Amino acid sequence: MVDLQETHKKFQKELSSGTVSLALLSILVQSDEPLYGYQIGKLVGAGDEEGVMVKQGAIYPVLRSLEGQGLLASEREMSDSGPPRRYYHATDIGSEVLETWTATWQETKTFVDNVLGGKYQ
Amino acid sequence: MKTTDELIRTYLSDLKAALRGADKATVQDALADAEEHLRTALENELAENDEVTESEVLRSIIQDYGEPAEIAQAYRSWEAALPPALAETPAARRAATQGTGTTGRAGNAYPGFFGVYADPRAWGGLVYMLISIITGTLYFSWAVTGLATSLGVMILIIGIPVTIIFLLSFRGLAFLEGRLVEALLGERMPRRASFTDSSLSWRERLKILLTGKATWLSWIYLILMLPLGVIYFTLAVTLLAVSLALIVSPILSYGFNLPIGTVVNGDVIWQLPAYYTPLFSVLGVGLATVTMHLARWVGRIQGKFAKALLVSD
Repeated sequence: MVDLQETHKKFQKELSSGTVSLALLSILVQSDEPLYGYQIGKLVGAGDEEGVMVKQGAIYPVLRSLEGQGLLASEREMSDSGPPRRYYHATDIGSEVLETWTATWQETKTFVDNVLGGKYQ
Repeated sequence: MKTTDELIRTYLSDLKAALRGADKATVQDALADAEEHLRTALENELAENDEVTESEVLRSIIQDYGEPAEIAQAYRSWEAALPPALAETPAARRAATQGTGTTGRAGNAYPGFFGVYADPRAWGGLVYMLISIITGTLYFSWAVTGLATSLGVMILIIGIPVTIIFLLSFRGLAFLEGRLVEALLGERMPRRASFTDSSLSWRERLKILLTGKATWLSWIYLILMLPLGVIYFTLAVTLLAVSLALIVSPILSYGFNLPIGTVVNGDVIWQLPAYYTPLFSVLGVGLATVTMHLARWVGRIQGKFAKALLVSD
């Protein structure tokens, strides 16, 4: 017996590991000002419930991973009230990398759309 | 009805439990991220909308943030994808793909006696040994001055702020040392300073700062870095200097006619023939390589030591 929900979860997890990086990098390249985790989480979830690929808590390790690769940089700033916040912004390399990632994404998207649309039958 | 503080604390302890067995530094980072997010979100959402109760708002925030198990899984998988600097050795990669071991000892990655020269960890360890006399001296002086000054002014009204500043500086220095250790020695250390609960009163925070294990373990580490730094620096410099002298001994002997291998025993002077000096060179290369092995080993031990003292459970 195949556990449909389990299969779905596994597929979603595998699919999201690359796309979430792309989405977060894109948000930060497009943003005019540095953003902190909560704001980014809001933006990711802002579309509609269907569009949400990732839980807000899961974006933090991705942000840190992107920072580790030099695509993002961050500063910790105190806030007037509440805890200090870590503000992320895209680096120049990050913007460059986003272009190649976007191209890869477009290719992948076209390919998958074609396959799903029966183009290769 | 639980207060929001209790809810947040429950969530954090669940997350910590879900991360059991993960790297200590990863756990610390994950908890800091979660606490920052939950508190910031709570503050923002409450400002936007004042009709619902605090705990209701928080429950929905936690729902959006994700179940502890799910979030723990995300940290584990991203952590596996991004090892600390220098940890990405061929052996580590092999071990990871074969599912054996966790980080793979660097020793396997660069096999053979001379393979050590290609190992970034050995070079990192050597640099660490050389600079530890500077950092060690600074840490020690600051730790001793800070504690002595704090104790000295304790009876005055300015005693408390002075003490707080010094205690915070110990934590800050320990964090910086952690970054240095991760960069040079490849031991995963916290990438964020540990979180302070802003909802606590300053008295409670002071109490945590004063009685917290982290503060005093950091202080002890800063103190111990002086003797360790002296030992590391002396070892590194002595061994390198002797190796270098041995390696260049044929040049000194043939090129500059310097007496190499002279043994003076009272009035008897015994001179080793110059054609022995190439042997000294071979010995020097051997000693330099042993030094590199030592540097790698010291780096590994120092990394473990830093982790034990500077990363809280």
